[in-house]
Amino acid sequence: MAPLMVTLSEAIERARSEDRSVLTEIESKQVLAAAGIPVAEATLAASADDAAKAAAKAGFPVVLKIVSPDVTHKSDVGGVKIGLEDEAAVRTAYDDIIAAVSDRQPKARIEGVAVQAMARPGTEVIVGMSKDPQFGPVLMFGLGGIFVEVLKDVSFRIVPLEERDAREMIDEIKGRAVLDGVRGGEPADIGALASLLLQLSAFAEANPQVEELDLNPVFAYKDGCLAVDARIVVSAES
Amino acid sequence: MDYPDLTQRLDRAFNPKTVAVVGDKRAMGYMWLHSMKAFAGKLYSVQIDPAEIPGIEALDVPNYAAVSEIPDDIDYVLCAVPRPVAARIVADCAKKKVGAVALFTSGFAETETEEGIEAQQQVTDIARENDLLLIGPNCMGIYNRRLGVRHSPDQESGDAGNVGFISQSGTHCINFSLIGATHGIKCSKTVSFGNAVLLDAPDYIDYLAQDAETDVIAIYIEGTKDGPRLLRSLKAAAARKPVVVWRGGTSTAGSRAVYSHTASLAAAPDIWSAAMRQAGVIETEDLDETIDAVKALVYCKPASGKRMGLVAMTGGQSVVITDAFEREGMEVPLLMPASYEKLASFFNIIGGSYRNPLDAGGTIGMGFVPGNLKKLFEILDEDENVDAIAMEVSGTFIARRLRANPEMMDGLLDLLSEQRERSAKPFLAITHPSHIEDVMAGMRRKLLDRGVAAFTSFHAAARALARTTAYWARRDGA
Repeated sequence: MAPLMVTLSEAIERARSEDRSVLTEIESKQVLAAAGIPVAEATLAASADDAAKAAAKAGFPVVLKIVSPDVTHKSDVGGVKIGLEDEAAVRTAYDDIIAAVSDRQPKARIEGVAVQAMARPGTEVIVGMSKDPQFGPVLMFGLGGIFVEVLKDVSFRIVPLEERDAREMIDEIKGRAVLDGVRGGEPADIGALASLLLQLSAFAEANPQVEELDLNPVFAYKDGCLAVDARIVVSAES
Repeated sequence: MDYPDLTQRLDRAFNPKTVAVVGDKRAMGYMWLHSMKAFAGKLYSVQIDPAEIPGIEALDVPNYAAVSEIPDDIDYVLCAVPRPVAARIVADCAKKKVGAVALFTSGFAETETEEGIEAQQQVTDIARENDLLLIGPNCMGIYNRRLGVRHSPDQESGDAGNVGFISQSGTHCINFSLIGATHGIKCSKTVSFGNAVLLDAPDYIDYLAQDAETDVIAIYIEGTKDGPRLLRSLKAAAARKPVVVWRGGTSTAGSRAVYSHTASLAAAPDIWSAAMRQAGVIETEDLDETIDAVKALVYCKPASGKRMGLVAMTGGQSVVITDAFEREGMEVPLLMPASYEKLASFFNIIGGSYRNPLDAGGTIGMGFVPGNLKKLFEILDEDENVDAIAMEVSGTFIARRLRANPEMMDGLLDLLSEQRERSAKPFLAITHPSHIEDVMAGMRRKLLDRGVAAFTSFHAAARALARTTAYWARRDGA
């Protein structure tokens, strides 16, 4: 089992010792949670038994995701199982995931599987940070799914952001009306999304070693929001 | 570099009492000395080539062999010598403790050659070690209209202006002042800053932001070495006065491999635009857009909202003027019932209509019926659904009737300028070049002379008003 909480510098040290710049989902989430950013907690399980125990603790239904520094697109290699309702299903899913990833990406180092309670669905958004050669850290906001994949409907602001910048970058996307709730969906908590952007701005400012960051997706609810998946990329050298 | 007391020192350079031109020559038509002939202070020349000296003396400019030999303090030096001599002149300027030196000399890092980069380092080091203000190199330096410190003999001088321009390019710097002048834009101070080795865009932005003579700042820039600093300067300036930023070129992001979704989506032009929005400046894409936006800022009162009252001369133009403003995000609402009551009492609805836009050719005949045009304006002024007023000044109508009747033309000009003065709402006149381009250009000029914002197309007027209205709303609003 990985330590319960890991600091960014510990995570970076570990990543560098393993010659990688991408933190695992679990590392990324622990670092972000420590910064007060709302993330869906995930526990690393290195065996089917561990996974079943972690699932019981997290509460069913759960989702299992492969944890490997070498796998970037988890679902493409059969590394994700969702909607697991009991311990038996979790044990089976664990074995299936390990087998699928070993089969499709034999060289991948596998640390185990992340166990996390299925998040209540909300409006999917993506929030991220990257570095621009001229302006340095830049935040991105957009709606998830096809809005970002196909339509590239995203907006940007330079770190540090003020409250007004966060509000304006949310309002700027073409699909903004989706956040008001469509087809009976609940409206998104704009204040919570703005707070998330401001927290990330502070996080990026305080941690120049972070090169890129994705919270994808974030579920926006009528009261609050939750990052369901997270990825942090750090600079290769200090 | 961090110069101590930079504001005071730039003040000295931008408002010189003494100017020296170094290295002007016949082959350039003595362009610098001719440009500086309008200078209100004392002008000196420095030239050691005996073949050039008679030509300089013929211009009645005292010539010296070195800046350090001039028996006067020198506030501003324009240096036009060839590159191999530049370092020696810069060192001499440092010795003389001049206010600032602008290096017109080129052939430095912009050539991307080893010699160029080395030569640039050399002049930079000399200036830095001696705490000398260095503008450029590879630039046109300073234009101060009031004092007649100029880049070109064609630039206007003698009276004050109120628009500052800061430009990475010398061409765009000159063109903004020359072409802007034909659009009624008077520059206070401009600077072409070239390779920006010591003084960079943010230094000039900070300076013009606090300059009492400058009401509006426009900028041409191709990129920045320090994005966060540029953003801070733009944001601080835009909180005080309108700033228009025209960006040329696109920066190429490094080819570094990216792992995240965010990084793969972050294209440089989008980031630039985001930074401009964050700074609260008006972003433009070319000289025309820049001039139009500045014109609207200088000539139009800030609009309280996006709702237009539109006046055109024909049905077709009523449709198209409405399209233009709506496309730029402005609104063309119904008027208040009281306005319709008033309009119904005199509006000629045969071949016309007055829903908004007002298709008013038959009612006002471009000022043949001045009483009716005045009434229309008064109704739009009083109407609480209208934030701004725009009117087509039709070339077709002018050609048909007004061209041969100068008094009537003057009457129309009077009416439009009275409207501009009386109304608290911004007023825009659109003078399409039409088939009588020269007449319409003259008309536009006369309108601008009387303080009326005159634009060459519906789209240009709509875009400029939409941008400036957004600027004022963001600055003063939420």
